[in-house]
Amino acid sequence: MEQTFDRRSVLRAGAATAGVVLGATALPTTSATADEPVFAHGVASGDPLPDAVLLWTRVTPTPDATPGSGVGPTVDVTWEVAADPAFAAVVASGAQTTGPGRDHTVKADATGLNPATTYYYRFRLDGAVSATGTTRTAPALTAAVARLRFGVVSCSNVPAGHFAAYRYLAERGDLDAVLHLGDYIYEYAGDFNDSVVRPHDPPREILTLADYRRRHAQYKSDEHLKRLHATVPFIATWDDHEVANDAWSGGAENHQPDTEGDYAARKAVAHQAYFEWMPVRNEADRIYRRLRFGLLAELSMLDLRSYRSRQVGIGDGGTDDPNRTLTGAEQMAWLENGLITSGAQWKLVGNSVMVAPLQLPPLSPELLGPLAELLGLPEEGISLNPDQWDGYAVDRRRLLATLANHGVRDTVFLTGDIHSSWANDVPRDAGLYPLLSKSVATEFVCTSVTSDNFDEILGVPPRTTSIVLETAVQALNRHIKYCELDSHGASVLEVTPAGTQMDWYYLANKADPASTLTWGRSFRTRAGTQRVQSVGTPIAP
Amino acid sequence: MTAISRRSLLGGAAGAAALTAFSSAMSEAVARAASDLRVYVLVVDGCRPDEAVGAYLPTVRSLAAQGTSFTAARSVTVAETIPNHVAMMSGVWPARSGVPANSVWDPALGEVRDLGLATDLLVPTVLDRLTGELGLATASVLSKDYLFGVFGTRATYRWTPEPMLPVTDHAPDVFTMDALVRVIDDHDPALVFANLGDVDRFGHADLSGSSLRLLRTLALIDTDAQLARFVAHLRWRGLWERSVVILLADHSMDWSLPLSLVNLASRLDDDAFLAGRCQIAQNGGADLLYWTGPPDERAAAVERMRSIALATPGVLSVHDPAGLNLGANAGDLVVYCKAGWRFTDPTVISNPVPGNHGHPATEPIPLVVSGGHPLVRRGVVSSAPARTLDVAPTVASLFGLQAPSGGWDGVPLSPAFAGVPA
Repeated sequence: MEQTFDRRSVLRAGAATAGVVLGATALPTTSATADEPVFAHGVASGDPLPDAVLLWTRVTPTPDATPGSGVGPTVDVTWEVAADPAFAAVVASGAQTTGPGRDHTVKADATGLNPATTYYYRFRLDGAVSATGTTRTAPALTAAVARLRFGVVSCSNVPAGHFAAYRYLAERGDLDAVLHLGDYIYEYAGDFNDSVVRPHDPPREILTLADYRRRHAQYKSDEHLKRLHATVPFIATWDDHEVANDAWSGGAENHQPDTEGDYAARKAVAHQAYFEWMPVRNEADRIYRRLRFGLLAELSMLDLRSYRSRQVGIGDGGTDDPNRTLTGAEQMAWLENGLITSGAQWKLVGNSVMVAPLQLPPLSPELLGPLAELLGLPEEGISLNPDQWDGYAVDRRRLLATLANHGVRDTVFLTGDIHSSWANDVPRDAGLYPLLSKSVATEFVCTSVTSDNFDEILGVPPRTTSIVLETAVQALNRHIKYCELDSHGASVLEVTPAGTQMDWYYLANKADPASTLTWGRSFRTRAGTQRVQSVGTPIAP
Repeated sequence: MTAISRRSLLGGAAGAAALTAFSSAMSEAVARAASDLRVYVLVVDGCRPDEAVGAYLPTVRSLAAQGTSFTAARSVTVAETIPNHVAMMSGVWPARSGVPANSVWDPALGEVRDLGLATDLLVPTVLDRLTGELGLATASVLSKDYLFGVFGTRATYRWTPEPMLPVTDHAPDVFTMDALVRVIDDHDPALVFANLGDVDRFGHADLSGSSLRLLRTLALIDTDAQLARFVAHLRWRGLWERSVVILLADHSMDWSLPLSLVNLASRLDDDAFLAGRCQIAQNGGADLLYWTGPPDERAAAVERMRSIALATPGVLSVHDPAGLNLGANAGDLVVYCKAGWRFTDPTVISNPVPGNHGHPATEPIPLVVSGGHPLVRRGVVSSAPARTLDVAPTVASLFGLQAPSGGWDGVPLSPAFAGVPA
């Protein structure tokens, strides 16, 4: 029997396991209003290269040219990049025409820049001048880089709370870039837990191009997010909610063709709005791409939604179907080739869904494959969440085998999606780990900026019931070294030749825009080890 | 030049005389620099990068903390002992050195043999060039017979490995370290090239290699003790402040389960076109395939061998040797196995050892540049690409030795030094 499955049901399944009754938490709501000045949606930069960086803004040339309206004049917006915040030394400039056809957004590739350099940029439209943004180019390809620091975030849902985590990252002042691993916006009318801190705009599930544009505009109107965008370049990929929950190549759990129309058309407009509103480098509809940071690191940003086969249900043997794919053949070949031939030490993989197995129990294909076949179970055991790499075991086996076969070391998956914090070794065979199967990579999973997680869905205080499940998960999955299911916030990843370290910072109250964040936990991967290790202190800001 | 057994090391007068004789040829500047500098290249044979930062090699970790670690270091393919030791001392690709693997098919002999003859190595090495061009004494202290053989008389002082263990066919590290210490005490060479074979040899034989690695772990502990003894001896002799220590592995190690075997010979013999007309030089994780039939059938034969190899379970990839900088004696095709597998050719019992290398999974190596010399940068971890063939250019750069005819294929490990020319 086919069974549908989404993230919420994962958490609910966990709740049932723990014997806890689900409950919704009523939270206060705030209204989101904004003036509509010319540069109401701020400025942003993204995808830094050694000699270039993308600059972004959106203009409102007339009051009626609101996001998604499809009206307003065609205008020429100029931009300039300087080495100093006073713009005394402008090093690059240009102009771009925009209009209602692209929702009055502007994306300019500022080229001819110096590597590893901080720049200041701004836009002009007639007499109006935007806020000044700060950005930074990547180091030269062959540069010896002593340190990189990235903010790592995912799953920012407006109705679920305020983006104080973004404010925290903006205030740090030590980041080279922010990696957004997906679910930058949510498509729902409200919050999926029915507790709305801030209402969505438009106040309905978004379906049309105008809807998606308005939704992006709302997020870009958030003061915390605007500030972060203006402070540091973003490197973003999408997950499912940029289109619809649990998206796959031909549909989504949260898309009903009978009432919501053709999925391909919905995906196309969602992608169009994304490319308009996000400072990402895309070639047509292709968003997976690679960025290099000297000899120290190379970042492969994946697209794990556009090419994937449809998710299977829990207990289905389809996870082992060789005809199913998560990445698509072309992206997998691109990823493998990049990992094998990388000229950088650290191979970072921006990965929207968790790669480490999460299983109860963690069976191995060699030992229990025949039994699994008899029982009609997937060879690698019963996956808790087939929306992750768990649901695409053939692709995962191929990728991890590639790492092992080619002696690729220092690969770190950076993951979002599941609204919780994880530090994992990534063994080829979780069932035989650690005695007979060694780790070939590591994985750090950032928690959500605001999206609900375990305690909220259960309606219980944080750090109570969740601890039971966290303990069980780690006991049954020995490669999982850290699992925290309650907190929200942001992470900071430091990369040095000696190791990578992820620090998790947690929000005190996601319903409070002024909420503080405090350090929660740190794990590192020392060079050459392919294993995570708890660290007692965070990296110094 | 002087061959030294343990016995000959006990009496070093002849060597000292030889060093004195060569010294007159040195320029004043080089002599002054050389008098201040000692370079020790120590190979922990088969050591894995994760072991180098693990609990059982505290001396290696200490050396790393006092020097520069190259976290992206790799061996040259084929990731075997002889070609990588040759790469370290020659600084050139196997296509130029003539040593692409441990074992090759020798058409003149009509058999597969190890490249352990002095005549197999076709290019100069820093061992002989330092002596010949700068008049500096060098020494080789190598725990394996074929290494002793391939480097022949290139070093000023050479230790004949003994006693040899019957199963592992190498001299245990304790004896190798005895010899290393003795050659330093007796002759104080400017460059010493040493191979410690325990970690590799006990790794090969470790039946628990896929799990607990019991033998391997014991070897690591013992080898680290020998390294600690070496460092302590340099300090005691007052040489530490003049020393650059380059500590690295020649290749890594991978363990296979008993049924994860690749036997290509039987598959080639099953093919009517190929049967009896090709040879395989098995190198653990890599097979070198040779067509021995008529030359005009070579192209068809190579494609047939490639096709058969690629269809064989456990095979990772098949390559043209020229594309790997391996040269003519690597044969017509190089076949790699996957991690967790091993080749066993010509028969299924030809390679019974669980620990193997030669395939890409075993290319990552630890590489540390340390020592007390003021040139050595302390506490540095470098992402720079590094290979075994970078050792010779580094040694040459330190001593002011020019690049050989045709240039280096490696590059000096410049991130490890302050002020050493690239």
